[in-house]
Amino acid sequence: MAEIDCGARSTREINAELKQWIQRGETDIVVRHPGARHNLAVAILSPARVRLEGSAGYFCAGLIDGPTIEISGSAGWGLAESMMNGRVVVEGNAGNGAAAAIRGGTVVIHGDAAARLGASMKGGLVIVGGNCGYMAGFMAQKGTLIVCGDAGEAFADSMYATTCFVGGRIADLGTDAVLAEPTAEDIAFVDDALAAWLPPAIRGKRPPAREFRKVVAGRKLWNFDHREWKLWQEAL
Amino acid sequence: MSVLQASGVFQPGVIDDIQTKAASGLYRIRGYGTLRERRWATFDDLTFLPCSLTRIPLEGYREKCSTKTVLGTRFAGKPVELDIPVMITGMSWGALSYNAKVALAKGAAAVGSSNTTGDGGMLLAERENSRTLIYEVLPSRYGINIHHMRMADAIELTIGQGAKPGTGGLLLGSKVSDTIARQRDLPIGVDQRSPARHPDFLGPDDMIIKVEELREATDWQVPIFIKMGASRVFDDVKLAAKAKADVIVVDGMEGGTGASPAILQEHTGIPTLAAVCEARAALEDCGLYGEVQLVIAGGIRDGVDAAKAIALGADAVYIGTAALIGLNCNRPIHVEDYHQLGTEPYHCHHCHTGRCPVGITTQDPELMRRLDIEEGAARVSNLLRAMTLEIQMLARACGKSDVHHLEPEDMAALSMEASAICGIPLAGTRRVFGR
Repeated sequence: MAEIDCGARSTREINAELKQWIQRGETDIVVRHPGARHNLAVAILSPARVRLEGSAGYFCAGLIDGPTIEISGSAGWGLAESMMNGRVVVEGNAGNGAAAAIRGGTVVIHGDAAARLGASMKGGLVIVGGNCGYMAGFMAQKGTLIVCGDAGEAFADSMYATTCFVGGRIADLGTDAVLAEPTAEDIAFVDDALAAWLPPAIRGKRPPAREFRKVVAGRKLWNFDHREWKLWQEAL
Repeated sequence: MSVLQASGVFQPGVIDDIQTKAASGLYRIRGYGTLRERRWATFDDLTFLPCSLTRIPLEGYREKCSTKTVLGTRFAGKPVELDIPVMITGMSWGALSYNAKVALAKGAAAVGSSNTTGDGGMLLAERENSRTLIYEVLPSRYGINIHHMRMADAIELTIGQGAKPGTGGLLLGSKVSDTIARQRDLPIGVDQRSPARHPDFLGPDDMIIKVEELREATDWQVPIFIKMGASRVFDDVKLAAKAKADVIVVDGMEGGTGASPAILQEHTGIPTLAAVCEARAALEDCGLYGEVQLVIAGGIRDGVDAAKAIALGADAVYIGTAALIGLNCNRPIHVEDYHQLGTEPYHCHHCHTGRCPVGITTQDPELMRRLDIEEGAARVSNLLRAMTLEIQMLARACGKSDVHHLEPEDMAALSMEASAICGIPLAGTRRVFGR
């Protein structure tokens, strides 16, 4: 296992050393004292495990393809944005735009996620152990979004083919978001996902998978239609 | 004898607009760009002042006049080096056909210029046929792919575009084919509306961090462009410069689009002439003129427009619609198909329908075949060559051995508006209006 102590070093120096370790074949790297620096572990393209001992700033694990990034603290805006594949686990909370535009992989946030969680996501799996802020799932295209706690306003607004599950209250469904009846496969999927990704201590505080509500697109915004004028007028 | 009188307010176009909306219940959508008769100051309101006795010209047809263009000297390890100052702007695979995208790439490469991806990601054939490829990062992030980004020669973080600043793009369902839907991770046939905001940052302070992320992702090697639609250009350019952009792209209201609400094309943003003047002033105001390169876009038609933009402060220009016209857009061939769209050659702005008669803005395989890639590439490279010769012609006449040495003092204004906007004396006077 390799160790990087951030100390007073710049993001550029830290990321360069991280990539050097990976190029040398190291598959397990601990980054100590990240100090909530922005842009840590960006564009890692190999299946290494990188553990940040502390909190990260904006865009941590952005544009990655393949690694497992663990953050023992919290993460700032744009966590794992545009990730192609890999795993990102945050043991604390995440800021705005977590998992934005991801195309694959899994993002797990043990705590809460702020606004616009999973906005424009194009695939993958996002799991939040706690609550999420407003406009989660905005214009989400594919993949699955699971929020174990409460969801904020305008949830799942203007979505395409992403499927959402919420264990707690939904403050307000977004434009064209509708509730759907979960299938037995849906319930099994959520149950398996929570068992696989959330620690028992967090899972135990949340309702069982069969009580999660399913939210999908109503598909009335998918094509222009003057009969849906009221919906278009209110669309974000 | 009867005398027909038409309303000056409710002209035929206005009547058609009202009646179309009365039938559909929706705002009108179309492609191409503004169709308004231009009553604002444009590049046509400027004229060059070639050498006579006070300055000595270069031989117009033969003397050396450099067109080499370098972009991204501020922070990038490998600035973009182009042979000419005319580049191909970002247009999406989706709005454009595969053949059009590849023809643009090959045409630009043949003359040492660049082309740009667009709102739909990168085509591998586009990369293979480009000499210099600029990879756009747009709010929608359709087709975003870090591997493709790392294959690019520059990254362009797009905040907006001139045809519709403040609003995302449109791709109507007729163009969201199986292939395009797969590329963009969308359901087939949806009327795709791109977001206006990036999903992971909002304001200028966040953008500073975003730019750093893109540099980290590309090992600080390639230039980062920030592109914006021209609205509050003076302030926006300063904010982009503060965000450590290497290159700032300002796209004026004459810029084109594959599809957009018509009112945005006609009634939002400021003209390209005004945009270049504001952008230069902004960079001068923060002491970065010359250090941050400036690319101007929006309705650039020929080498004359390009030369005037350069003289006003641009390091290079983008062309979009002009390049498509070079590919045969609005050419009077396949005329029956124009008629089926309810239009005529030279009047077509029906890019949004996906039924482009000449195979440029379509995903229909039959229509696309009408655009031969090799022939199209040759036309694009010829156009770029001709535009470059036009720029050189004007530069030599003004006594410049490098097109980038053109300056505002090489021009006179032909209208008071242009004088006031550009800070250039009105022809026949020594006066700059408004000062």
